[in-house]
Amino acid sequence: MNLRNGILTVSAFVSAAILPWPATALLALAASFVEPLMPFSIGLFMDALYYAPGIGTWPTATLYGLVFSVIAVFVRHQLRSSIIR
Amino acid sequence: MQISLSMKRTFLAKRNALLSSTTFSWGVGALIFALLTLFLRLLAPNLFLQAFTPVFHISDSIAAESHLFFSSFGDTAALTVRNEQLASENSALASENQMLVEKEASVNALLGVASTRTSGILAGVVARPPASPYDTLVLAAGKDAGVALGQEAFGEGGVPLGMVSAVTADFSRVTLFSAPNAVTHGWVGKANIPLTISGTGGGSLSATLSRSAGVAVDDIVFVPGPGQLPIGTVVRIDSDPSSPGVMLRIVPKVNPFSVSWVLLRDTGSALRDSFSVATSTL
Repeated sequence: MNLRNGILTVSAFVSAAILPWPATALLALAASFVEPLMPFSIGLFMDALYYAPGIGTWPTATLYGLVFSVIAVFVRHQLRSSIIR
Repeated sequence: MQISLSMKRTFLAKRNALLSSTTFSWGVGALIFALLTLFLRLLAPNLFLQAFTPVFHISDSIAAESHLFFSSFGDTAALTVRNEQLASENSALASENQMLVEKEASVNALLGVASTRTSGILAGVVARPPASPYDTLVLAAGKDAGVALGQEAFGEGGVPLGMVSAVTADFSRVTLFSAPNAVTHGWVGKANIPLTISGTGGGSLSATLSRSAGVAVDDIVFVPGPGQLPIGTVVRIDSDPSSPGVMLRIVPKVNPFSVSWVLLRDTGSALRDSFSVATSTL
């Protein structure tokens, strides 16, 4: 389980640096099922790599990452609270 | 004795819990790594780019290899024909270009005007779209090489690509005309109809124009510079019957996804004034 999370995390970071951004976005979304913070982390990392101030005014990768992380946390919370013990 | 053993077991279990890999959250680790990367870029942008340049080179190699791989599935006979066409076209253009250079030199000599040919700074491209979600280029030339904010970047054939928007000691960033929210003022067609060109990301541009302007597909789009500089071609015209205007879809003359070097030079304020994005030193 932890190894799988690690592979997903490292793959998403490597992808951000060397693969086209749609591939990175897909990996970050896939990783969000097991690590909700991943979209936000990858967004921050991509903006650190590529964002130039003044382009589109906002660092959109970070903002989208934050939105998807919040959604992932909310969904996980809902799923946990719906489990009947 | 039994109590002592039980306490020892509990203590060991707690200690193992602290050291165990099962308590390590990859999400938190990823966030810390991303924040450290961000701080490195903010505090030492030059060192940051130096550290990531080898990674960007790997990205380039992968892009080139994958392009070759997917091209190998293409029709080889059609590719050969296309290659021959391009080779003959290239040869014709080279001789035409040579003829124009000589003509310019003779006209300048006749008028007693000094040559307008200016040298620039040749810079290799370190990172480009589509790895970057923003339409920016990272160049391996910075302040030390003479790069300054607001200089224009030209691709092959002297086609303007964008402007320098950030500079460090050894690197610089160029914002392409196709960057989202980038706005450039230019002209289109043989009638030189003024238009506002907007970047739409992904290496493409668009502009809205009146339906009665009479712009057609394959018309050339120009921006100001020394004269008029072609930046792209109208490839599609989207028309909505309920709207008085049409949307022009423009493809740049030079594909920013494959540009490997650019020439940077200061061509005056005309192009700079027509291009509106903020600039920074980060």
